[in-house]
Amino acid sequence: MAAGADAVTAASAAAGAAAASAVDATSSASQAVPTGFALVVDRIDYLIMVPLVYAALLALVVGVVWRLVVIFRSPPPPYALRLYPAARRPGLAALGETFSMPQVRRHAPLLWVFLALYHVAFVFLILGHLDLFPHIRIMPAGSRHMIGAGAVGVAVTVPVIYFLLRRLRSPLREISTPADFLLLLLLLFLFLFGDMMSWGNSWSAHGFVMTKADFTKYFDGLARFTFANPRAVLPGAHYHFAVIHVLLAETFFVVLPFSKIMHTFLSFPINLLRRR
Amino acid sequence: MDAVTRTKLKELFETRLHSAMRLYLETCARCGVCVQACHVYASMPQARYTAVGRAEVVRKIFKRYFRMQGRVAPWLGEVLPMDDATMEQVSDAAWSCTGCRRCMTYCPFGIDTQMLMSVAKALLIGADKEPKLLTMLSDMSIAKGESVEETRGAFTQAVSDLAPEIRALWPHSKDPVVTVDADGADVLYVALAGKHSIIPAAAIMNAAGEKWTLSTFEAVNFSAFLGDSKKMQLIARRIHDEAVRLKVKEVAIVECGTAFRAMKFMTGAHPFRVVAFVELIDRYLTQGRIQLKPGTLTGRLTYHDPCQIARNGGVIEEPRHVIGQLTSDFVELTPNRADNWCCGGGGGLVALGEKDFRMKSARVKADQMKASGAAIITTACENCHSQLSDLNEHYGLGMKVEFLSKLVAEALVT
Repeated sequence: MAAGADAVTAASAAAGAAAASAVDATSSASQAVPTGFALVVDRIDYLIMVPLVYAALLALVVGVVWRLVVIFRSPPPPYALRLYPAARRPGLAALGETFSMPQVRRHAPLLWVFLALYHVAFVFLILGHLDLFPHIRIMPAGSRHMIGAGAVGVAVTVPVIYFLLRRLRSPLREISTPADFLLLLLLLFLFLFGDMMSWGNSWSAHGFVMTKADFTKYFDGLARFTFANPRAVLPGAHYHFAVIHVLLAETFFVVLPFSKIMHTFLSFPINLLRRR
Repeated sequence: MDAVTRTKLKELFETRLHSAMRLYLETCARCGVCVQACHVYASMPQARYTAVGRAEVVRKIFKRYFRMQGRVAPWLGEVLPMDDATMEQVSDAAWSCTGCRRCMTYCPFGIDTQMLMSVAKALLIGADKEPKLLTMLSDMSIAKGESVEETRGAFTQAVSDLAPEIRALWPHSKDPVVTVDADGADVLYVALAGKHSIIPAAAIMNAAGEKWTLSTFEAVNFSAFLGDSKKMQLIARRIHDEAVRLKVKEVAIVECGTAFRAMKFMTGAHPFRVVAFVELIDRYLTQGRIQLKPGTLTGRLTYHDPCQIARNGGVIEEPRHVIGQLTSDFVELTPNRADNWCCGGGGGLVALGEKDFRMKSARVKADQMKASGAAIITTACENCHSQLSDLNEHYGLGMKVEFLSKLVAEALVT
C-alpha cells in the first residue's frame, strides 16, 4: 500500500505528467483536456475549489464579526443575571462551563459523551486541515496521513448521527425545527465525504489516490493565491468527492454566522452572565 | 392584529434587545437538556411547557422581525409572525413560566428563560393582552404609594394595634413597639399588607435590640410579575427614597422572594444593603442577640428554598443555620438548595389565582414534599407559602406550612 501511495504521490508531484506507474490508479479523464459538458463541470469544479473557498471564508469572517458587533454594541442588561451559589472566580467558572459543560454531564451524561467527543474531535479536525498548509507543520514532515488517520473523521461523524437520531424522539422532536435537521445533515454529509477521502487514502491500497501530499499542494495553492486549477494536483476520478466535500464546507462557512453554531463564539460570554 | 399594533410591538421588542437578551436569543442549540428542569413539564409533559419551548416562541418572533433569515428562509421553521395566534402562544409561554430560573442550572449556556419571558410579557402589555388583574394590582400598589400621606395616620394606628400580639411573642418590647418611618433607625423593614408579615418580624427585631423602623410602603412588587420594568422601578424607588431619607444602613425585605430580588438585584445600585429577613435572623443568632428554645417544634421539619431567595438571591445556607437552632429533627427536600423544585406559584401565578393550573403543574412539588416525610414545611417567601399551602390541601399531604420567621418568633427565649 505504501509503495502504491508513494507512486501516486510521485505522479502527483509531476503535476499531471502521466507517470506510467500511476496510470492505472488515476483517471485518464484527469489528463485529457475537457470539452463540452466535461468543460462545464470542470469550470464548476474550479469555481467551487478556488474562488468560492475565498468567498466562503470571507463570508464567514465578515458574518461572525458583524454578528458579534451587533450583540456586543447593544446596551448592557439592566441588572445582573447571575445564579447562586456565586462563583469565586466568575471568569474561570464560565470558562470551565464553556469547555466542560458540567450541566450536560450531570443531567444528560450520554449526550455529554457524544458532545465531548464531537467537540474534541472537531478541534483535531481543524488542526488536521491546518496541517495541510505547507508552512504550518503540526505532524512530522513527511507524515503520510492527516491527524488521526481517519479516526478523527469517525469521531465527528458518529456523534452527528447520534445528534440526529435523538432529535427524532419526543420531546426533542417537537422542539426541533427543519433548520436543526438541515444543519445536522449538512455536517453529516460534510464529514462523510471527508471520511471517504480520509479512509480511502489511509487504509486502502486500492482506494483513493489523492494523498495528503496532493492536498498539501492544493492548500498551498490556496494560501499563495495562485488561482491554479486544483485538478492538476488532485488526480483521479475521486476528485469530485473532494469537490463535494469543499462545497459542503463552504456552505457550512456561509451558514455558520446565521446559525446556532454561533455558540462557538457566544458560549463563553453567555456563560459569564450566569456567573458574573 | 393590525399593522399599527404590529409595528408598535416590534418597536417594543427592540427596546428589550440588550446584549444579554441578544445572547439568549442567538445561542440556543435546542439540545433539550433544559427539558427536565421545569416543574411544569415534569408534572404535565408537553413540549410547550419546556424552557426551550417557551423561549422558542420569543426567539421565533425575533428571527422573523430582526434577522435576515426570517425574511429569506422562513421555511427553516424558525419564525413566527406577530399575529393574534402567536400572541396566544406568547401568553401561554409567559404565564406558564414562574421565572424560577431552574432551567438555567441545566442549560449548557445558562440561558435565562425568565429574561426571555420578560419580552413575552412586555409584548402582551403592548398588545393589551396581559392579565388585567396583575395590572390592577400593580396600579393599586402605585396608587397606594402615591397617597401614603393620606393614609399614614390610619396605617400607624393599625400597626400600633399589633402591639399585644407582638408582646405575646416578645414581652420585653418597649414602647413604641413598632415605629413607622422613623429617623435614627439602622434597619428599614419592608413588610407586606398582612399583619402576619409584621408581628413575628417585629418580635424578632425587638428581641435582638435592633434599631429598626417599619416602611410605610409594602414590599410586594406586582410589576415585577407583570414584566413592566418601569412600574417595577417606580415601586422599588419609593422604598429606595425612604431608606435614603431615613439614612438607614440596611433595608430588610419581608419573606417575599420577588420583592427581595427586585429590590436587591433588579432596581439599580443602592447606598444601603438589601437583605432578606432570614439573613437578619441568622445574623442575630450568630451574634447571640437572640436565642431560641429547642423543642418548640413537634414533628420533622423540612425547608423549601424559595427560588428568588436561594438560586436567584444567594440566600442558601442562612435558613439552614437558623433551622439548626430551631430543631434537630430536620430533613432536606430532594433536590434542595439551588436545585430545589419551584413551588409552582411564582411569576404572579398565586396573585392571579390560576389554582387549577398551579395544582396540576406542581404535582412534582407535592411529590417532593410527600417524599420528605416531614410533618412541617417551612419557607421564607409569601408566594411559596401560599402555593405550598394550596398543594398541601389539594394533594392531602397533611403537613403544616409555616413561615420561618413565625417559627423563630415562637421559639424566642424570653
